[in-house]
Order: sequence, then structure tokens, then C-alpha cells
Amino acid sequence: MSRYILQRLLGMLAVMFVVVTIVFIIVRIAPGDPAAVMLGPDATAQDVASLRARLGLDRPLIVQYGIFFGQLLRGDLGESIFLNRPVLTALAERAEPTFFLTLFSILIAGLIAIPVGILSAYWRGSLFDQVATTLAMLAASVPSFWLGLLLIQFFAVRLGLFPVSGYGGPGAGLFTRLSHLVLPALSLGIVSSALILRFTRASMLDVLNDDYVRTARSKGMGEVRVVMKHAFKNALIPVLTVIGLTAALLVSGAVVTETVFGLPGVGNLVVSAVLRRDYPVIQGALLIVAALYVLINFLIDMLYLLVDPRVRY
Amino acid sequence: MRIREALLSGLAIVVSGPVLAQTGGVINVATIGEPPTLDPMVSTADLVGIVTQHFFETLFTFDKDWKVTPLLAASLPEVTDGGKVYTIKLRDGVTFHDGSDMTSDDVVASLKRWMDQASRGKQVAANVDKLEAVDPSTVRITLKTPYAPLLALLSFNNSAAVIMPSEKMDVPMKDPVGTGPYKLKERKPDQYIQLVRNEAYKPLDGAGNGYGGARKPILDEIRFVPVPDPNTRVEGAISGQFDYVDSIPVESYDRIKNIQTSKPVILKPFGWPVFVMNTKQGVMANTDARMAVRLSLSMEDMLAAAFGNPEFYSLDGAMYPKGYVWNTDAGVEGRYNVADPDKAKALLKKASYGGAPLRILTSRQYEFHYKMAQVAAEYLKQAGFTVDLQVVDWATLTQRRGDPALWDIYITHSPFLPEPALIGQLSESSPGWWSSPARKKAVDAFNTESDAAKRPALWAEVQKVIYDETPSIKIGDFNALSAQSPKLEGVVPAPWPYFWNVSVKK
Repeated sequence: MSRYILQRLLGMLAVMFVVVTIVFIIVRIAPGDPAAVMLGPDATAQDVASLRARLGLDRPLIVQYGIFFGQLLRGDLGESIFLNRPVLTALAERAEPTFFLTLFSILIAGLIAIPVGILSAYWRGSLFDQVATTLAMLAASVPSFWLGLLLIQFFAVRLGLFPVSGYGGPGAGLFTRLSHLVLPALSLGIVSSALILRFTRASMLDVLNDDYVRTARSKGMGEVRVVMKHAFKNALIPVLTVIGLTAALLVSGAVVTETVFGLPGVGNLVVSAVLRRDYPVIQGALLIVAALYVLINFLIDMLYLLVDPRVRY
Repeated sequence: MRIREALLSGLAIVVSGPVLAQTGGVINVATIGEPPTLDPMVSTADLVGIVTQHFFETLFTFDKDWKVTPLLAASLPEVTDGGKVYTIKLRDGVTFHDGSDMTSDDVVASLKRWMDQASRGKQVAANVDKLEAVDPSTVRITLKTPYAPLLALLSFNNSAAVIMPSEKMDVPMKDPVGTGPYKLKERKPDQYIQLVRNEAYKPLDGAGNGYGGARKPILDEIRFVPVPDPNTRVEGAISGQFDYVDSIPVESYDRIKNIQTSKPVILKPFGWPVFVMNTKQGVMANTDARMAVRLSLSMEDMLAAAFGNPEFYSLDGAMYPKGYVWNTDAGVEGRYNVADPDKAKALLKKASYGGAPLRILTSRQYEFHYKMAQVAAEYLKQAGFTVDLQVVDWATLTQRRGDPALWDIYITHSPFLPEPALIGQLSESSPGWWSSPARKKAVDAFNTESDAAKRPALWAEVQKVIYDETPSIKIGDFNALSAQSPKLEGVVPAPWPYFWNVSVKK
């Protein structure tokens, strides 16, 4: 077990190294220039060249990589070109909205998808199942930005229940900040619920016909207990996997949703950094996101141990 | 007696106007995004100027008629030695946000930083012989040759010659300390930029006059909130979340014109879209080929595709619209909105055009650029061009246009700049690299003439050469649409919206 964990941790480091290197190369060979963006539309080529030199972007790529990697080994992700602060600080500032957005979205998605998925499988082929499956397909097909705009129009503009955009002004308390997350979380939760619902339904269908479910029923056990204790618990592994992957995706930044709702989260930071070519932020953010992704996958694997006693590493 | 008193008090209110307006109020201003920097010297981006003009100030600025007017300077400069020596008296009692007094040493240090760091400052630096503090409240600039755009460059709010304390000259800027009516309190990138009233600010006497005159910090706070999605900005205006919403799509005009929470702010005219030609290399290095592009295009169709509603654009070949002193028809006749493929074909034949792809660089960051490019491409194909429309993001465009081997036309736009010499395409070093004896003769004559009365005629010569040689093509005039809460009073439509002299109706 400990050997397995050590192997996984070493593997995670290798993945991170590859990610860091690929990201470093891609952002630099992609067209665009942070100096040109910062200086604005009327800057001359000479101005751009002199700012590039000041930022160290005129050095050979290998030298820039060496500097970047040296910083990384010291735990320093560098300084943002545009934000006037270290990348780690910029990321830490974005952690709160992204964390809560992820949490709320997953909660909403889970609360919709798991009960409906279970009932859909239980009443397979019924009207309920058909409606649920159709709605799931619809939710999966709806672009989240479009759904976001619809929610804004109805709940924020027409009913005035929630703010349209942003994450609260100076001095806004936690409750005010979280109120800005309701609509984006609803938008993401609805879209994410489709996949979880389909996985829950499919997985439940697999186990509902298994012998142990029939045995439980023949023992005279109540249907709720059969479904929840025997069937659902065994159907949980693929559902957990898809919830974990959805959470990992959301932690890495619900890029479009954060942009539509003007949320200062990780996704928004990455989009702005890509548009401005803020290399240190792109590198740092993707490094952290990759680390979270790998970590969440690792944690899901560990969770299998709890859910299914047959799993051994 | 009572009637007389009432009349007098009424008169006092009329005369003093906003002076008596009570201070107070917090407003939220939705902007198109996060400014790339808060150093207004470094960037020419409009967004940087919009935010920083509230806490940084220049020696001069522009009044409502786009005439240069003093701001930190006590008066317009004394210009001697045939337009080569500018002696600038500074206002007394101006303090920085850190409490220190503004002196000529601060002004000299700031102007040196400007000439070193700002692209517009560098334009000036080449022509500056000496910059010195004559006494604590006087600065003297000695030029090598007369240079008429100097005052306009010192007045502009982006790539701006802002005045900062001499001990705050760090590059990059660490601590934004200015003299303006508002102070920077907090910046949370992509969340808000919070400005608070500068209690020590002493406005000029009288009323506001464009960017000049009295700048009264009536509001307690101004919060600039980046809202990058244009549709969300519209919804933010309609819901009343934002008190002012900058730059919204013209399609939203009908939605906001009849509601109670917001009303449209139209700046008419705001600016001009422009096709800039690569005169240095490739297909557009040939003057006849450039003229073929000009004669092949229907500006009317391009503007209609770009802006839809005719209330938001107008056909106008003159580089400056009516109402500006620079408005002239010189060179325009028969060369604007022609859409004549036969004439274009004849010119292409004369230019020995062999079918090489005409690479048009555009971006969807500004959707109207892209729409114009699509229409232009069809007209150009009709005229016989092989068109290669390259749609890239704005950062890529700004990089690629610096390399003459990569493009033939790029699309951009500009507000109507108060001084024509500030138009980027007139400079030989600006992407497009327009350089010809006729350009030099006309532009030099315009730039060195310090008699304001003679300059419009000289600008007409420049415009004529632009039409003769076509280094760029102006497509027309367009208006800008923003939205404001009906509770806001004192908002003046402006290319770089400002919120001093603005109050919230109680």
C-alpha cells in the first residue's frame, strides 16, 4: 500500500514536470507578446523591443527555462507581468471564488443527478425515466454561457434576486460574496448534472439486476433499503469517478462561466493571462491546476478503498 | 425684499452650480476589462487612461472644444524663440496624495521618465534640447526645432505625461501617487479598482470644461469593475447593478432606451475604423495597389455590417468630422465609398498585381473589425484581389503587425484624437511605415507650425497626401454607446469617461 502511494507520488511529480515543460514551450511559441499588449495600440516596435528586454523575454528560450525552473525549485512561480504581484499571491486571491463555485456546483449537480439517476434506473422505461433522460440530454447540450445569460436575465434582471456580475465590492462580507455565486453555480450545476445523472442511471441499471439485489429482496428487505444500501452503494464507484473529474474540471476554472459572470476566479485569471500573454501566470496557474487534477485523481483512487472492500493496491 | 432674496439665492445656485452639490455617494463603473497596468505613461490603452486620469494629472488637458487648457500648469506656456522655448509656470499649492508639495523638480523628473518610458514621450524626446527647473514653480523645455504637437502630447491622458513625486520614479511603477481628485485605495485585479476622494484636492475655479476647468471630487468613491462580457455589461446596466457601463453593443440600444434603471449615453461621433496598409513590403507597398483597395470598397456596406443601426455610424471621408477645426474635404472627392471594381482592376493592372494573397489581419476582440473585414474581403475579391483573411486574437495582431513580412492590411480604430499629430499612422515608425517625400513635406510643415490659425490649412495638405498615397483608409465615423443610471448627474459623454463633477441624485 505505502509502496503504491510512493509510486503514485513519484508519477505525479513526473506528470508535473512534463506539464511544466510543455506549457513553458507552448506559451512562448504561440504568437502574441505581453510587451505589445501592455504598451497598447500606439506603441512602436522599438518600445515593444525595449520592454521585452526589460522583462527578459529577449533571452534564449533555454536560458528563460533555466531561470523559470530554478525559481520553481525554490517554490517561486515568478511575478505576474501585469498584476504587479507574485503568481502565487494572484492564485491565492482567486482560490476562494473558484473553491466555493466548485463546491456549490458539485452540490447542485449531485443533488439533482443522484436521486433522479437512481429513480430513473429504478423506473426504467417509465415516463419519469424518459423525461429525465431527455432533460439530461438537453442540459448536456446547452452551452453554459447561454444558460448563464438566461439565468442572469430571469433571476438578476427580472426578479432582482441576485447580482448580475462580479464578486462583491470592497469590504463585502462572505454572505454577499457567496450571493454572487448562486447563479454561476446553478448554471454549472445544471450542466454538470447531466453527465452525473447518466452515469448514476447506467451504473444503477447494472447493479439492480445483480444476484445480491435479488437476494436482498427475497429476504423481504424494504425497497428503499435494497436500492440505497445494496444497489446504490455498489453503483457508486463510477459515479464518484465522474463527480471527481467534474470537480477537477471546475477547480481548474470554469472558464466560460467565470467570464460571463465576471467572477475573479482561477478560470478568469487564466483567460486574462492567455489573452495578455502573461507567461508567468499561465505557467503557474496551469502547474497548480495540473497538480490539483492529479491530486484529485489520486484521492478518488484512495476513496475506492473505502467504498469497495474488494479494491486493493 | 423676500422676492429679492429669493432671486439672489436662486442666482447663487445657478452661478455656483455643482460647487454647491453635496459630496457623497459611491458608484460602480463597469469597464470592458482589467487595465494592463496602472502606469499611464507606459500604455496607450484607452482603459488605462479612463481609470488613471482620476488620480494622475498632466500639466495641461483638453477643454470641451479640444483646445489645450492648463491643469497642473498655472497658465498656457510662454512660447518664445520662434516656437522652440516653452516656459511653464506651475500652479501653487498643489499637493500629491502622499501630502508632499508638487515642485518643478517633480515635474522635470516626471517628464524625463515620460520621455524615457512613454511612446508619446519618446516622440518628443528626440526633439528636446534641454529640460530644466528654472525655479521651484517654473519649468522650461527647449526644443531643437519648433514642434507644434508638444502641448497636445503633454495634455493627453494615455501614454500620458503625468506628474508624480520625484522620489516615485520606479519602473515598473510601484506606488501610484498622483495629484488627482481621487486617490487609489485598493486594486483587486479582475474584481475592482477602488478610488476614494482626495480630500486635499483643490479644484480650479469655475465650472468643469471638458477635461479642463474645475474637477470636483463630489463622489466619495468610484469603483471600476471589470466586466469583460459585453452581454453581461448590458444586463448589469438593466438590472441597475452598475451606475455607469462603458462600451456596450449598439444592438442593446433598443433594450436600454426605454427602461427606468438605465439610460443610454451616446458619444457622437466617437471614432473611426481604419484599414492600415503595409507600405514597406508586399502587395500594399505599391501606391496603385493601395488605391485599388480604396476604390474597390463600399464603406456604406462595411459600416452597415459593422454597426447595424444607422444611428451609430455615418459615412464621412474627412479624417475629422464636422465640428472639429480639422474638418476638411481635401483629397476626398471621388476616392471615398466608390465601390468600383472596374477602376480598381485597372489600377491593379497598372500595379502589375500577380495574384499574391492580400493578407488582412483582423481580430474578433472588436467584432465590428471582423464584420468590416468580411464585407471588405468580398469587394476586394470582386476587384481581382486574392484575399487571405487572417482572424487572430488582439495580442497576436499587435505582435504580428510589428513584422512587415507578415501582413498587408490590418484593421484597427481610434477615437478622434484632439491633435492630428497624435494619429499613429502618420509616424514613419508606426506599423505601416509610411514614408515618402510628400508625407515628410506635409507632416513636417504641419508639426513645426506653431501658429494655431495656420495649422488647419496645413492639416488639409496632410489629408490630401493621405488620400493621394493611401497609407491607410478611413472607413467612416462611428458612435459609442454606454449606459448610465438616471440617478447619476453631471456625466458628460466623452471618449475617456470621467466621474469628477458627477454626483448621485439623492
